[in-house]
Amino acid sequence: MNRALLARLNDLDRRWIFLAMGLSIAIPILLKLRFPEYPGPMARATFDAVEAVPEGSPVLISFDYDPASAAELQPMASALVHHCASRKLKMVFMALWPLGKQQADRTIESVLKQFHPGYDYGTDYVQLGYQSGNEGVIKLMATNVPEQYKTDAAGTATSTIPLLASVRDLSAFKLVASVSAGYPGAKEWVQYGNGPMPDAFSIVGGSTGVQVSQLLPYYPKQMEGMLVAVKGAAEYEMLVEEKYPIDKPDVIGQGRVRMGPQLVAHLLMIALIVLGNVAMIASRNRGGAR
Amino acid sequence: MLQRTVPIIILCASGAIMVLAYFVTAAVSWSETVNVWFNVLAAVAFVLGAGNLLKVNLEKISSQRPGWGYSAITLAAFFFMLVVGLFKVGAIPDSKYPGVRLAGNYETPASPYGWTYEYVFSPLTSTMFAMLAFYVASAAFRAFRAKNTESILLLATAFIILLAQTAAGMFLTGWIPEDSAFAFLRLDWMKVAITEHIQTAGMRAITIGIALGVAATSLRLILGVDKSYLPRGGGAA
Amino acid sequence: MNAGSGISPRKPSLTLLWISLAALGASLLVLRSAFAAQADPTGEATRSLWTTVGIWSAALLTLGILSFLFRDNPFYKVCESILIGVSAAYWMVNAFWTSLVPNLFAKLAPSLVRDSMLPSLTESPTPSADFALACVPLLLGIMLLCRLLPSGGWIASWPIAMVIGVTAGLKLVSAIESDFMAQIGATIQPLIASDAGGGFAFWPTIGAWVGVIGVLSVLTYFFFSVEHKGAVGKTARLGIWFLMITFGGAFGLTVMGRITLLAQRFEFLFRDWMGIS
Repeated sequence: MNRALLARLNDLDRRWIFLAMGLSIAIPILLKLRFPEYPGPMARATFDAVEAVPEGSPVLISFDYDPASAAELQPMASALVHHCASRKLKMVFMALWPLGKQQADRTIESVLKQFHPGYDYGTDYVQLGYQSGNEGVIKLMATNVPEQYKTDAAGTATSTIPLLASVRDLSAFKLVASVSAGYPGAKEWVQYGNGPMPDAFSIVGGSTGVQVSQLLPYYPKQMEGMLVAVKGAAEYEMLVEEKYPIDKPDVIGQGRVRMGPQLVAHLLMIALIVLGNVAMIASRNRGGAR
Repeated sequence: MLQRTVPIIILCASGAIMVLAYFVTAAVSWSETVNVWFNVLAAVAFVLGAGNLLKVNLEKISSQRPGWGYSAITLAAFFFMLVVGLFKVGAIPDSKYPGVRLAGNYETPASPYGWTYEYVFSPLTSTMFAMLAFYVASAAFRAFRAKNTESILLLATAFIILLAQTAAGMFLTGWIPEDSAFAFLRLDWMKVAITEHIQTAGMRAITIGIALGVAATSLRLILGVDKSYLPRGGGAA
Repeated sequence: MNAGSGISPRKPSLTLLWISLAALGASLLVLRSAFAAQADPTGEATRSLWTTVGIWSAALLTLGILSFLFRDNPFYKVCESILIGVSAAYWMVNAFWTSLVPNLFAKLAPSLVRDSMLPSLTESPTPSADFALACVPLLLGIMLLCRLLPSGGWIASWPIAMVIGVTAGLKLVSAIESDFMAQIGATIQPLIASDAGGGFAFWPTIGAWVGVIGVLSVLTYFFFSVEHKGAVGKTARLGIWFLMITFGGAFGLTVMGRITLLAQRFEFLFRDWMGIS
């Protein structure tokens, strides 16, 4: 390799790399690059787990993330809520993260109220909101939901809400879905919710790319389905939309939109790793020759 | 006594109740009560965190340490959010109880608290984490070196996952029939094999190791063997 | 000159302080009046104005954080300071309204809470017992806040001991149940897999073997009580290879996550702020 080029590579200002990364994401967004997705086994398992819940059954959806991870997780949450509503399941929303409640509110507004206006608060869905305590919240809910949630997010006593009237503990739910970005999240739902009563309900999880590795040991025995990062969201969106079509890609379809920049950015990452290694090998050879 | 013995008793008792509740049905209600206390304390911890932030920044401002102006901005932002949140400034009144001002909804973007969440907090925290994309790219160029078998394995796996997670995987190897003898050369096949078998096995072993460590540490704490949580130089019992 | 903060310590800080306080005061007043105007049913325009102001604010703050990529600068520092202040207050307010009010204050002073904060709160059949039980976390909470005191911080060791005790009690059982027993159960699988028709399934069999060998070899690597020599050494080395593949996979997925976050911020800037649909 040319000595000057090698020296430039070794001393490359990292801001050039930043610029390349920025462009690799910005250009596909501006060009609206879209690619077909092919649902993998984990996304299919998640879809099947929701499909297996009998119509009208109560399900618990926990929003265990914040805006920092919403880019990856909001597409799954939106598709999941649309899927559950299309199957006429009763939904109870809650959050283990302080900012998760806002994400749940956003999903209720953009999915439930927009596409399923027949869903009534109190009988078809309830927003319980956030409670502090992390795994302590799950542990208490495993035996006593009303003790943990005395009121819903709006301050209404849960004892007066029809949907929660028969809910004593977590076994009242047929499915628990945790869309999670870390601690506390899907892992804790498996440990403290599913652990004491493994056959009472199914657990599915949506996870950020960073957290996936931690959840892999629980799939498929302790966690029936898992959505892996935005790729999982895109695959799940496809499956849901195929069976329950919706004509609003802004809401259900964000996962697929965000897969466009992934391709270019991933290729850039590979190119950067290769380039770094070529520079290393060239430096080593030059050093050896000297 | 107060500084050492009482905390040990509290820890042992609360830990033992939580364990006992798994085995004795009668202890479930005790564990629920202790759990409620725990959850309330978790909420108080947020107040403690905010108090600590206040303390650190006020000290910085009063001693006019370098960059104290930023501490003032932090405190101004803190108090603004605190006041509009605690007093529900501009909250949308509850339709059933319009007379009870503090029952109003303060989290919609139509209220100052919700607006600040939507247009200040949310973009700031999202962008802060999004910055990591740039640093991952920089680290990939500077630190990912194929120096030995282990690093080659790591890099090769990363390449497969990076390609298979996008349309590139199907573009490069999607033409290989799924039911052929060479299906294992498909990138999507390799990705599933890596994540569901090799990566799962690796993480499962790590999980088992962590579980043993957690169980041992928990036992040491509950049995009073580990006292590292007690304040240093807290005096004799 | 203070290299760390990006601005000089005294005078510029003071100027920055006054500008920020003035800006915050003004924005507080404007916000107050703007939201008061929303009571008016014809306040649609005001709402729209505040949405526009919000989008501009979000865009400028986004660019402020991104400006750090070029170099550390006061604009970034201001954004960072705002984030710290706002997030601490957000969590505190959230904890107050969602946990402390319904789970603590509602038991200590139910009438007051019902009249002023939670009008739909139902009456407890056992108010005295609730009050007595709520006094414990109240006391422990106050003790926890004593950690802020210059002296007497040891008082906080009581509630901290309770938090550690409950966590240890919860984790002890869950770790053994979900992360130890269940993981061993998931590892012990038939090593000869069969397909739906009862015939020999080649790849699932390989998968089962890989799973068992992987778990055992990585555990051998973690087992430091025996010297990693001979057969143990070779198994441990295989374990390292499994771990490297595990970390390689984790890296690939992490990259994906980070890129998605950035893509979302760019989507916001292009679509919501610049109007490029």
